[in-house]
Amino acid sequence: MRPSLRTSLFLAPATAWLLCMLVLPLVVVLVFSFGTRGAAGGYVPALSLENYANLGARWAAFQNTLVLAPLGTLTCLIIAWPLAYFLAIKADPRWRTLLLILVIVPFWTSILIRSYAWIQILGGNGLPSLIAELGMGKPRLINTPFAVMVGIVYGYLPLMVFPIYVALEKLDKKLLEASSDLGSPPFRTFLQVSLPLSLSGVATGSMLVFILLMGEFLIPQILGGGKVFFVGNALVDLFLQSRNWPFGAAVAATLVLVMLVTVTLYLRAMKRLSGGRDDVALM
Amino acid sequence: MRLYALAVYLFLYIPIGIIALFSFNAGRHAAQLTGFSLQWYGKALDNPFVIGALKTSFTVALISATLATLCGTLAAVALQGMRGRARMLYDAALYVAVMVPGIVIGIATLIALVTVFDAVNPLLLQAFGAEAPQLGLGKGSLIAAHGMFTMALVVVIVRARLQGMDRALLEASADLGAPPMRTFLQVTLPQIAPAVLAGFLLAFTFSFDDFIIAFFVAGSETTLPIYVFSSIRRGVTPEINAIGTMVLVASLLVLITAQMMLRRRAR
Amino acid sequence: MTTDRVQPGSKTNIRETKMTKYRDHIPAKEFLTHLESLRKGSISRRHFLAVTGIGAATSLLAASLPGRAFAQAIGDRVGIATWPNYHDPANLDAFRDATGAAVDVNVFGSNEEMLAKLQAGATGWDVVVATNYTISTYVEEGIIQELDLTQIPNFDRAATDPRFADPGVIDGKTYAIPRNIGTTGYCVNSNDLEGAEAKSWKDFWDLARDKLSGRAMVHDYQLTAIGNALKYYGYSFNSVDSAELADAEKLLIEAKPHLFAINSDYQPSMRSGDASMSMCWTGDAVQLQRDMPEILYVLGTEGGELWSDFFTIPTSAPNKAAAYALINFLLEPQMAAKEALFHGYPTGDSRVDALLPEEMRNSEILYPAADLLNALEFGAAVTLTNPERAEIMARFKAA
Repeated sequence: MRPSLRTSLFLAPATAWLLCMLVLPLVVVLVFSFGTRGAAGGYVPALSLENYANLGARWAAFQNTLVLAPLGTLTCLIIAWPLAYFLAIKADPRWRTLLLILVIVPFWTSILIRSYAWIQILGGNGLPSLIAELGMGKPRLINTPFAVMVGIVYGYLPLMVFPIYVALEKLDKKLLEASSDLGSPPFRTFLQVSLPLSLSGVATGSMLVFILLMGEFLIPQILGGGKVFFVGNALVDLFLQSRNWPFGAAVAATLVLVMLVTVTLYLRAMKRLSGGRDDVALM
Repeated sequence: MRLYALAVYLFLYIPIGIIALFSFNAGRHAAQLTGFSLQWYGKALDNPFVIGALKTSFTVALISATLATLCGTLAAVALQGMRGRARMLYDAALYVAVMVPGIVIGIATLIALVTVFDAVNPLLLQAFGAEAPQLGLGKGSLIAAHGMFTMALVVVIVRARLQGMDRALLEASADLGAPPMRTFLQVTLPQIAPAVLAGFLLAFTFSFDDFIIAFFVAGSETTLPIYVFSSIRRGVTPEINAIGTMVLVASLLVLITAQMMLRRRAR
Repeated sequence: MTTDRVQPGSKTNIRETKMTKYRDHIPAKEFLTHLESLRKGSISRRHFLAVTGIGAATSLLAASLPGRAFAQAIGDRVGIATWPNYHDPANLDAFRDATGAAVDVNVFGSNEEMLAKLQAGATGWDVVVATNYTISTYVEEGIIQELDLTQIPNFDRAATDPRFADPGVIDGKTYAIPRNIGTTGYCVNSNDLEGAEAKSWKDFWDLARDKLSGRAMVHDYQLTAIGNALKYYGYSFNSVDSAELADAEKLLIEAKPHLFAINSDYQPSMRSGDASMSMCWTGDAVQLQRDMPEILYVLGTEGGELWSDFFTIPTSAPNKAAAYALINFLLEPQMAAKEALFHGYPTGDSRVDALLPEEMRNSEILYPAADLLNALEFGAAVTLTNPERAEIMARFKAA
């Protein structure tokens, strides 16, 4: 078999799949976004920019998402980094595999069920009544942005821990020893050695989490009590409540555009920071 | 450091523990422990809708992950030998596939399929009469939508492995006169096998756990996450906890088995 | 022991029996334990009948009489699109036992969601339970079909209050027949009121922003969330007047920071005590009150919504024979009364009313006093498709 023929044969099923289930749907979204809403909902063909002009009506949802998604990513990062460092550098090698598996295991339960567990913990009869017993008043936790953040960190922490772990594991431990032998304080070692060398993992992890957060619907729905509204929630309502497909398509197209721009810029910046090395992979 | 790790693990496991704990609750309220009982496991396993949803999820995940792994692995291998504009175009498509949020994939697939079905179904009726098969949303659309996304993941994972592969082996095989197909089967495939398996597991897990794409394209099919979602809507009984615990234990068993198989092979 | 007179499941929780497959035989010891619990009152008679299998056996007998006729012809599955907490699983099991067709239940959050999925070509449902104000849109969109009433002999128009049956008839053709009726008021935990007054929608919104701040819930549903905000000003529940809607929006946005949640699934939060007050449908109030007598149901003195739900058959139904069989089965007065006992909604059918226990017939939640009832309005079809109401809802949730 000629190599080029083999290449095309090997590629054919994947190409067909991507064309039918990715390119075609995205093109349909783009076409619909210029249409108008039918009297009973749905789509009527048209060529109008009205939906895009109207995007301001969902500005609040974009704003919430663009604040909470980076914030959630950052929180995940701050919590994940020390754990990844512990696993890669400090943990007893005999236990390392087990400890790593323990990080993914929660991931194997449905995100729905895990979020539901947080309803019980953050609900009035859970943590708040414990706090009240300590005499510090009874705070309201469930159905707040805080609850949504807890759900986000809980849901996506493993996605952040793993890439950072992989990056740190490759790190030559002699570098760390050298740094401390030369008398530099731990914080400086962190700033000048471990952090820069883990940047590829940080980039991959944050990107994964950020992408998922930008399209999040379930966690704000379940832990935000319908009061914390992401673009994902706006999209679900546009398609399943007001049935305004063209406007929904315009919101979806804008979301994809915003993500393409932010993620590409972010990857560029990270590449520059990590010294132009090419190991900032998608996974 | 160690204390910090312990705290994070506690954070990760307290909710799981609560789910498991309440699955053994004798009472039906999810908020109060009233005694030990296995009744919710019996109820969940006896409930035809839970079993039906489990079957649907399993079928969809198995088929979509198998197809995605097959097509994705082939594509990753083919892409190795590709350069130039075609390669860039393909990389861009994969980048978009991985990056577009699930919710947009769900919505886009829904409106595209509905449009296509509306166009095709009348033609089918014309061609085959009243008994003509009609296209609709269901397991098929779900498999296609899940598989598209997970196939992109498989390509990315397998390609990373291919890049790290020992090229000298390939060259040696070619120098010894082995035809390309044989090199592929006897040299490349064994080397990328762990990545292929990892890709399959990831694809399966994603499909099995996905709610948002299924919410839009499943039609009237009920997958397990959709069942759980509507149960949460109705107010939850420990039955849901029992389902969650069983799925967790089953996936742990799969994980451990896979790990052991890999180890045995490595020896 | 027979079940010809159904009893209210006074202390049992509805979900006790949910989705359970009852065995025909249980060990004698277990039977005695259940009998003892029944005597002590810790489980209800209905639950007792269910777990011991006596209920299943007798309902099977009762159901098999009309059911056997189509036992061979209707296939093994019938799909129904309906609302949460709206069917007693035991009754659906009885249908399966009588006809061989298992009922696959899909629940929805709102009529809008149901319409959206049907419009998007989702097929597979044989029966769709839709609310009055959506019927005309379904007919215009060609989503539901005219019903063949000869296949539903258990429906008796003469016994049904025309107010509740009429929305199902369009241009003289019957597209939908009523299943249950109800009102939309609010439920409030009297322990948290501390003497404050809760009689009107004005009280609801004032309490939500003041005394019960952080403890009130509003439906995630444009019709009732906006409609009941309109009632605060005394406007029509169905208003699509821009100025009136602007007032309602202002109230909603003012109230939002004080709300516990915007969610139509309020039972769990009311039960756990996280929420003290919520917009509420008749049946949920009945179900809540069974377990928590301190919960009151209030119909705003200004009015609000009166509704009826209908059985319809979508044109795309894959199994129409089973659809007719299921509708007919559930409309049989004994069966309809059992369903009403479970979910707590009246039927508008005088034959069924006669079968309900006195306690239910005297309930002011189910059968409100005439002056309260007369102030209520049916939801109007225009609200379903009005873009302005949809946008207000989105702004309310995003604010």
